[in-house]
Amino acid sequence: MLARDRVLPVPGPIGERLPSGGLQRGTVTAVDGPYGAGATTLALRLASAASAAGEWVAAVDGERALGGLAACEAGIALDRFAAVRGVSPQQWPATVAALLDGVAFVVACTPTGVRAGDARRLVARARERGAILVALGAWPFEAMLRLHVTGAPWEGLGDGAGLLVRRPLAFTVDGRGGLMPGEVTAPRRLARAG
Amino acid sequence: MANLRTERSSAERSSHDAIRTCCVWWPDWSVVVARRTDPECRDLPVVVLEPLGSRRTGLVRAASLEARRAGVVPGLRRREAEARCPGVIVRDADVGAEARTFEILARAIEELTPRVQLERPGRLSFPTRGPSRYFGGDDALVAHVRAATASVDPGDVPARVGVADSRFAARLAAGHDTVVAAGATGAFLEPWPVRVLGDPELADLLVRLGLRTLGAFAALPAPSVLARFGPAGARAHRLARGVDLHPPALAPPPPELVETHEFEPPAERVDVATFVAKTMADRLLSALAARGLACTQVLVEAETEHAEVIARCWRHDRALTPGALAERVRWQLEGWLAASEGSARGDATPGTGASARRHDTELLAADAVTGGLTRLRLVPEEVVPATGRQLGFWGGDAVAADRAARTFARVQGLLGPDAVVTPVVQGGRTPAECIRWVPWGEPREPMHFRSEGVWPGAVPSPAPARVLDPPVAAELLDRNGAALTVSGRGDASGVPGEVRSAALPQGGGRVVAWTGPWLHDVRWWDPIERRRHARWQVVVRAGGIDIACLLALERGRAVLEAVYD
Repeated sequence: MLARDRVLPVPGPIGERLPSGGLQRGTVTAVDGPYGAGATTLALRLASAASAAGEWVAAVDGERALGGLAACEAGIALDRFAAVRGVSPQQWPATVAALLDGVAFVVACTPTGVRAGDARRLVARARERGAILVALGAWPFEAMLRLHVTGAPWEGLGDGAGLLVRRPLAFTVDGRGGLMPGEVTAPRRLARAG
Repeated sequence: MANLRTERSSAERSSHDAIRTCCVWWPDWSVVVARRTDPECRDLPVVVLEPLGSRRTGLVRAASLEARRAGVVPGLRRREAEARCPGVIVRDADVGAEARTFEILARAIEELTPRVQLERPGRLSFPTRGPSRYFGGDDALVAHVRAATASVDPGDVPARVGVADSRFAARLAAGHDTVVAAGATGAFLEPWPVRVLGDPELADLLVRLGLRTLGAFAALPAPSVLARFGPAGARAHRLARGVDLHPPALAPPPPELVETHEFEPPAERVDVATFVAKTMADRLLSALAARGLACTQVLVEAETEHAEVIARCWRHDRALTPGALAERVRWQLEGWLAASEGSARGDATPGTGASARRHDTELLAADAVTGGLTRLRLVPEEVVPATGRQLGFWGGDAVAADRAARTFARVQGLLGPDAVVTPVVQGGRTPAECIRWVPWGEPREPMHFRSEGVWPGAVPSPAPARVLDPPVAAELLDRNGAALTVSGRGDASGVPGEVRSAALPQGGGRVVAWTGPWLHDVRWWDPIERRRHARWQVVVRAGGIDIACLLALERGRAVLEAVYD
């Protein structure tokens, strides 16, 4: 496999902030941030890049809280997407490992109390399979990239008027070769595409 | 394996491509089984609902004659059925019991002929040439079939038996309980409306073209039908002419296509064997597909630890899909393994159905398996060229799709079938309503009708990335610290000032921006299911971060429905 094929390009302003313009296959990217700051949206936007490249995407969602409509609006092709819901923390490592075997892009909400040993094994599994793991939440082991969402004010909603329209996706990039911090705006989608 | 081929003489083949068939049918089999297990509802109208967990849960699966007279048809919602037929008894379908009871009848008919082909619980067919000669004519054969089925008492409903020159015609004849004389099948089919072909789209088109009956459709030349209506039309045309869909294959399927699994240790429970059957069905059909073949008839063969070998043939009008094949294997295993399981389960169950169940267990035990299964074989008995499925144009995606499908199936094995779900966008107002999570492997159909565009009153885009399921209790307070309420006319008692909820960091905080209330009066025409909500989009400053969320108020109780994370 050529070196450039090892990178999943992420289009748009998010990709510009990432080293080599995308996510490297076979690596783990940790995305975290305070509750409500936009970490889930960022993970879905990364997943949509994989979906646009024709890959299958799986999400591990222990809290049964992932918004399907948000996944659709982020641009994930729903016919190549599945979510594993209601996974207990005990089953979480085995489930993620099984998904890395057959799916090119896995988004996993990390429950609290995942052991570093399990995380290390998942890093090895991802490397071996050439799959991308995006760990949402506190990742207890080293990761190729760490994206930390800092949160930004919402636009469009006023005091008793307006609607939520958009929010700049502010995040810092850490890891090997991170770039300068900055802001990325998540555009509002007008049509709800099926 | 050679049964259908050896049976046809050259004279028959030259006349036309059809096998004279007898079809035995119990209409509304689910009702027959429900009445049998629960004698209390014998004389009352009964409606059986689709089993729990299927995608049609809550819809009518079958209705008894009394209920049908009152206007109940399959596919209705439960409430609608109860409204049309007051006092109707509603039962959930018991798929296992349906399969087990049918096995008893299949055995009774197997006494008459070895070539029984099961189509689904409630309907079977067999070629009549041999048995009819043996018993002295079709009428005598039908009398024997009636006697054989009456002896095992499948409830009070007599079987409907029809004989005609093709399978399709035999099924229609069974509906009328008639024997169509040899050679008269064409005339028998002529007056039927085209919708009996089972293809609503095609039937609609044919009616608009002025072809209202099977006779009119059959009179068209076959090549023109193929040119105008494609393979589906050609298939329907064969049916209308009284010709069998799949003329018996002339070459036996190669032996390497037979799918075998050895159980170690022997499988004694239906679910264990069914799980294996699913993967076997997948392998068998993909091996056939690699040769451009599809399977319409399959022999399910099992061997027990006491070296008993039992086999049963299942057929399907169209090519079997892995799901359909696995389902048929499961029905069959229910029938075989029920006797050993039933003796442990049936006697211990109190209630009205216990006697019937014990009776079944005895009937099944008469020649049931005495131990666990050690080997399961799936033999493709009849194969046809695969025409229906088309791979992706570039081909490459199919490999990744296969790999992903296997992975998801494995995770389902780890966590249960409902753990892996795919979202389907459907019509709705809230982010939760707009998505239906369908278990992996089930048809991705929306539950609510989804028109182009957005429902009136829908929560506008962007959609929240976290939809709490179930919603978390919250407190929505106005600027004076009192709980916010909404009057019957939809006026809020104040403006949102503070949100408190356990789901938010530091238990919530001050509202910095808001809009609402949006009123949703859902199902206002229905006194029982009517629900009224008021919703607000608010931005809460909690823990130093602006958190946008969607709050709903129902009956004075506020909940946090979604977070725009």
